[in-house]
Amino acid sequence: MEAANDKVYHDNVVIRLIQFSVIWALVAMLGGVWLAAELIWPGLDFGQYWLSYGRLRPLHTNGVIFGFGVSALMATAFYSVQRTSHAPLFLPRLAWFCCCAWQLIVLLGGLSLLAGYNTSKEYAELEWPFDIAIAIVWVCFAVVFFGTIAVRRIRPIYISNWFYGALIIVIAMLHIVNSLALPVSPMRSYSLFAGAQDAVVQWWYGHNAVGFLLTGGFLGMLYYFLPKHAGRPIWSYRLSVLAFWAFVYSYIWAGPHHLHYNSVPEWVQSLGMVMSVVLLAPSWATMVNGIMTVSTAWEKLRTDPALKFIVLSLAFYGLATFEGPMMSIRSVNVVSHFTDWTIGHVHSGALGWNAMITYGTFYFMAPRLVGGELYSSRLANLHFWLALGGTMLYIVSMWAAGVSQGLLWLSVDEIGELSFDFRDIMASMAPYYILRLVAGMVFLAGTMLMAYNLYMTVRGRPAQRVTPPAVAPAYGVSR
Amino acid sequence: MSASTGGMNSSIQPYPLLRSLYQPVAAFEELSRGEPNPLAVFLRYSLWLLLLPPAFALIGGANFGWRVGAQQPLFLPPGELWLISAGYFLVLVFGLFSTALISRWMAATYAANASFGRHLALITIVGEPLAAASVAHLFPDVLVQVLVLIPTAIWSMRLLYMGIPIALETPPERGMLMASSLLAWLLVAVVSLLGVSMTLWVMGTGPLLGV
Repeated sequence: MEAANDKVYHDNVVIRLIQFSVIWALVAMLGGVWLAAELIWPGLDFGQYWLSYGRLRPLHTNGVIFGFGVSALMATAFYSVQRTSHAPLFLPRLAWFCCCAWQLIVLLGGLSLLAGYNTSKEYAELEWPFDIAIAIVWVCFAVVFFGTIAVRRIRPIYISNWFYGALIIVIAMLHIVNSLALPVSPMRSYSLFAGAQDAVVQWWYGHNAVGFLLTGGFLGMLYYFLPKHAGRPIWSYRLSVLAFWAFVYSYIWAGPHHLHYNSVPEWVQSLGMVMSVVLLAPSWATMVNGIMTVSTAWEKLRTDPALKFIVLSLAFYGLATFEGPMMSIRSVNVVSHFTDWTIGHVHSGALGWNAMITYGTFYFMAPRLVGGELYSSRLANLHFWLALGGTMLYIVSMWAAGVSQGLLWLSVDEIGELSFDFRDIMASMAPYYILRLVAGMVFLAGTMLMAYNLYMTVRGRPAQRVTPPAVAPAYGVSR
Repeated sequence: MSASTGGMNSSIQPYPLLRSLYQPVAAFEELSRGEPNPLAVFLRYSLWLLLLPPAFALIGGANFGWRVGAQQPLFLPPGELWLISAGYFLVLVFGLFSTALISRWMAATYAANASFGRHLALITIVGEPLAAASVAHLFPDVLVQVLVLIPTAIWSMRLLYMGIPIALETPPERGMLMASSLLAWLLVAVVSLLGVSMTLWVMGTGPLLGV
């Protein structure tokens, strides 16, 4: 029995990770909708500290990035690394440990944020016990992933694994360095870095978390699942390899663009700006590769509602990866920084790119994992339009709000006095915030439809037993 | 061009362009039956539509000032208003031609008709609701613009997705892919416009900023 199991892909853990990912998406997006409502009606915290904006906001971001995003990345990495290596997961029990321990970290970490424990570092708010736990689980994730590649039965390492590998290695490096701290109590610590150094390290972490987790990891997802959807190889494999190396080289420098006009040396800011603009090349190389791959598989759109999500995710990927470098230019950043334009930019990436490609991927994986059909293509199509409408309304309302804020905050009269009062400016933002709330609710409604659709698809069905196919002798690994 | 004339006509009549506002499918079908001359399309139709937004913005900005959220409207000197409106017009012309050129460039990938006149007319039709809705610029309140232009932009997007397969004679699925690729370009173009505007403001054209 043991020997037989060794030859079957371990997909139960993948199904469980998808389920957790969807649950976190619902929880974290509901948190986002609540936060959007609080910005219009601040009394919605009902005087409860745990419902206050300051505590709910990190729960929203951590829930989306680490709950929804990382669970989806683990699920897709475990699924694709087995199939591209023609080998079952290395140490499957460790994969289960990664799955369960990660959910426990997100759950307890989220509760600690609500209780007010916060390092004050954006996207790294969790306190030191959680940081240690994250590092341990991440190393286990690395062992399972790279272990599977090490025991692979096919010689080439497919490009998606390079991106997933970069995600694992770089996030480990960023997390460990940025979380170095001196604990002073079980739930309180002080960072080893101070002042400008702290800011530089924090945004080296923060921007590359966006880069290697929300971009690199999801590019791994794209490079595996897009050709699978399309039923064709990637348009240019050579371009994908070129884009990978250009991406990993240039992204790591871009963090200082978060610190423009700040107390870090100007050359550091300029370097961050230049490398951010350079990033456009590898980002768009991938976009072109994706668009050209799908362009040859147009007939699949007739039968595969999920492919639409991936097509549109590429459009938003193109937008977000253009908008980011543009906003890193100092003369644009001076107006856009500290405004809702930044929030709009983040959501064009998070909703339009990350969520869309994940949704498309889940619609692809769920039926295949249980050997059935998607419960409802009509619901998936409806979800597509809700997701598109919600994303568009969100980013356009935040563009308008952000540009207005930037303009009003910086406007001066003839003698150089600020023309407008901060409170008046914020009060005038309410209509845009209502639009944003509507957008969030529309997007959340689509996600709820997907949750129901996926639940009905996998309900009562165990994972299908899939065995690795034979490998052509020319590509096989001799052991 | 009416259906009865058919064939490879060198121009399109104003009727289909106006009809695209209330009978888009019929208008796109009519467009698919001809090879309009690009210059004629531009000089007879696109140019006048492109003049509307800057003209409305100029009139609105001069009479009511821009309301960007605060109580007091922002009034710009007449010279700057003219300059900004002229820049707005040039950007729209650039946007039209660049989008039509990119659309024609994509035609080979998506097996669509490659007549530049058709692409130019298609993009003109897609932008038509937005040009008409730019009447909102007469009262230049940013929120009013958002409330008017978001539904209009959705309408234009619908025309884009609907129009490509019909007017450019490609299967609906390929048309969907081509429309999504063009949407990516249009989103980038819009956000570029925001970035260019910010840079111009910081350089001193437009409102007085303390930077």
